[in-house]
Amino acid sequence: MDIAAAEPSSPLEPWPETVRWQPVSRDLIWVELIRWGASAAMLLLPLGILWAIFGGWPLGLAFGVVLVLMFWRFWAIFRAVRAWGYAERDHDLLVRHGLLVRRLSIVPYARMQFVDVSAGPLERAFKLATVQLHTAAAASDARVPGLRPAEASRLRDRLTALGEDRAEGL
Amino acid sequence: MAPPPVATPPVATAGGEPRRRLHPLSPLLHGARALVVIVAALSWSSLREFGLGWFALAVLVLAFGATIWSLISWANTGYHVVGHELRVYEGLLWRRTRAIPLERLQSVEVVRPLLAQLTGLAELRLEVVGGGKTEAPLAFLSVADAVALRDRLLAIAGRSAPAAEAAPAGSPSLVEGAAPPRVSDELLAVSNRDLVISQLLTPQAISLPIGVAFVVLQFGFDPSWSFIGVASTLTAIAGVLLQPVRRVLSDWNFRLARDASALRLRFGLTETRAQTVPVHRVQGVTATWPLLWRTHNWLRLTLDVAGVAGEGGANRAETDRLLPVGTPEEADVVAAAVLPGVLLGALVFAPPPPRTRWFHPLARPKLGVTLTDRVVATREGLLTRTVLMLPYARIQSVRVVQGPLQRLLGVATVYADSARGRSAALRDRDLAEAWWLAGELAERGRAARLAAPDRGPSVRV
Repeated sequence: MDIAAAEPSSPLEPWPETVRWQPVSRDLIWVELIRWGASAAMLLLPLGILWAIFGGWPLGLAFGVVLVLMFWRFWAIFRAVRAWGYAERDHDLLVRHGLLVRRLSIVPYARMQFVDVSAGPLERAFKLATVQLHTAAAASDARVPGLRPAEASRLRDRLTALGEDRAEGL
Repeated sequence: MAPPPVATPPVATAGGEPRRRLHPLSPLLHGARALVVIVAALSWSSLREFGLGWFALAVLVLAFGATIWSLISWANTGYHVVGHELRVYEGLLWRRTRAIPLERLQSVEVVRPLLAQLTGLAELRLEVVGGGKTEAPLAFLSVADAVALRDRLLAIAGRSAPAAEAAPAGSPSLVEGAAPPRVSDELLAVSNRDLVISQLLTPQAISLPIGVAFVVLQFGFDPSWSFIGVASTLTAIAGVLLQPVRRVLSDWNFRLARDASALRLRFGLTETRAQTVPVHRVQGVTATWPLLWRTHNWLRLTLDVAGVAGEGGANRAETDRLLPVGTPEEADVVAAAVLPGVLLGALVFAPPPPRTRWFHPLARPKLGVTLTDRVVATREGLLTRTVLMLPYARIQSVRVVQGPLQRLLGVATVYADSARGRSAALRDRDLAEAWWLAGELAERGRAARLAAPDRGPSVRV
């Protein structure tokens, strides 16, 4: 089997000629920022209060480290949201995400068991929704966050329609 | 021991079929089973505390209660086949009806624990996708009933596709009865001698002399060592030995046969099991070469079937065996029956590129992947070598994952996910190759699905 016979392509854009990647909404950046900001504040606030009361450099150092990490994370969120993408091919859905650990999932429509559309309060505030495709394999990882509700329901309907056409389940 | 099969005409669709009951002896068997649980629950400490008389009384009362309870539940349990479903009714206060769609049947097992063997009964277990645990254990039926029902369910499951409706309802291979599979079908029988030797060649058994020496030395140096100390050490040793012993008991007289559409496995000493797995339900096959078996050039094959005994790690080993121990030739015979056209010895694995040697300083040459025309196979492990083979037709999804270190080296790992929750990991492939593999897996998976749709005729060799 000739495994090495392959044309090189850029790491995040395989099969550029056949795949049209759809980005997710930029508003997802805000959702993620608020989510991360809230958890960072939970950590920063007690640290800051303790530092203010007791002083001492270890607390200050911890405060600084958390602050730097928070800003680094914020910067990463901007790029991570841009790295999210999905593409509907004829027979499968492609989802890619991740910056540090890059992931690409290929899920055939025929393998779909059910589709989840969910929207948390924060997502709803920014008019976003998440579509998740489930297969019989728990490891399948096809989650597309940051879709406009109209796009989310369009994707859901398309997925279920295609899944019915090609239903095989297992 | 096994009575001949009852001539139940395998009606494909029986709408108004009467509800049937489990065997009248089942409550007694359940009661006896409860006895063991009760004794274990009360434990030896309470025996010492209350004295033998009260202990026996308590056990008897509880066992009697358990028997009455199972009598009531027996009286309210029934099953029948409606169309393509098996319906099981149970419960007195909380009624429960389960309809098990037979199209989703993954495997059927006739289990006969020791007591059931003595009384000529059997338990029928169905594995269905989505069921976390074994669905609908019908305990107990007479052996003839269990076998007849199993064959009927399999016949319905296999014939759910309209194309296969024309096939004769009682094809000879499906009504073989409780008798051992006909010789022509039998693929393989594992000799009990090999089985015992193979289980002696496990780390647990090898370490036994050390444990015994420890106890003896301890006792020799310190005679005041209490009874509890000795007893608990011995219990610990027994616990370590339990797994090999259990393996020997459960894999005793291992027989593998196959007919047109299904694998038939029979094994067990104290608890005999007859498992029937439709070949098109096999999600993957794993071959394992334990270090200590190398001298005999032995290997073990295990089977992945969606839904078999769900999540439990310990349970899993009990139900997914395909070949407990065997030579490479035997393994090839078995593998060819399950995954036609696959020869274990003929697989040539391509290792990851040399620049990944820092990820796997020793094991790198042992890693590898290969694509045949039916399966994707991966090899792993330095000491215990394993090869996982996953048919393209069973791939649920494909993933490419690249961690930060992998990015530095320009490699990525490709995963092919199966419904069993096990993924074939194609580790550290060159990035271009990884994309190519991912595309190829997706494409071949689609082609294989089109060629052999799961609901189609199951007679596919």
